[in-house]
Amino acid sequence: MSLLDQWMESSSRRMARRMGRRSFLGKLGAVVAGTAALPLLPVARGHADNARAGAPPEDIDGPVGDPNACEYWRNCAIDGFLCGCCGGSYKTCPPGTEMSPTSWIGTCRNPIDKKDYVIWYNDCCGSNPCGRCLCNRNVGERAMHHPYRNNDINWCGGASSQIYNCSTAMVIGLAVEGQPEK
Amino acid sequence: MIARLTITVGLLSAMFAHDVAANGTPDIEFSRVQHDYLLSCAGCHRFDGQGSGDVPSLDETFKLLSLPGGRAYLAGVPGVAQAPLDDERLADLLNWVIKEFGGGDEFEPYRTEEVGQLRAEPLRSPREVRAALLAE
Repeated sequence: MSLLDQWMESSSRRMARRMGRRSFLGKLGAVVAGTAALPLLPVARGHADNARAGAPPEDIDGPVGDPNACEYWRNCAIDGFLCGCCGGSYKTCPPGTEMSPTSWIGTCRNPIDKKDYVIWYNDCCGSNPCGRCLCNRNVGERAMHHPYRNNDINWCGGASSQIYNCSTAMVIGLAVEGQPEK
Repeated sequence: MIARLTITVGLLSAMFAHDVAANGTPDIEFSRVQHDYLLSCAGCHRFDGQGSGDVPSLDETFKLLSLPGGRAYLAGVPGVAQAPLDDERLADLLNWVIKEFGGGDEFEPYRTEEVGQLRAEPLRSPREVRAALLAE
């Protein structure tokens, strides 16, 4: 038996002699809860804020700040089901679906910093339409003869399956200007 | 090429860095022509210009430009001709795409007035025109 195994065994036996199961579980619970609460400390929050420097402000009250609400600021040109209500998120597809390589791209204005951001609306494809959180907002959308600016199109056309499931809405950077272009 | 790498790597980072803080994304700032590419081209031709499925890669734009009729073709493709950009911005975008994705450095850049004339009659069958140009 290796030294490590021996040390683990003797430590476990010592602990078992000194401590009841309930006591052990109580202390383990305290450690787990304490670890989870660490990010709530001011220093941890400060670090997180630094990590997000440059990202659009997201601490917005109400539906404009709820990623699963049609009114959410980044959903300003989404036409479809929100993936966040379908087992995915605003940037990931639900299990069993794939993200289409082609996409609808627009801009939305963040209500806090009043800046326009380029938003990438990627459809998730390969499973039946999700049916939850249907939104139809059309800021900057153009007629069908501008297909790359039209969100009525099934953007799953570029995926291996053309069955539309839901849509994501990711920020990919600051826009030079909001739509429509001047 | 450096610019291409910058935008491609930057965008890929933004797209796939799922460990970026909860709702945050890198604060990428684009030039105007990159912005125009994103909003008017990248949806179909993708961020790296490689296209997808029936959407052709932009790698051959420089080659097409050098072929007889290629100059009119590039400006007459419906996605180009009907882009919601004025002639000046469209000329800048065309020239940038040819350099960025077509790999061409030495060519006569599109001029604003020229683009205005060429885009006036968008091609009705761009795929056929492209195939014929490349077959010659």
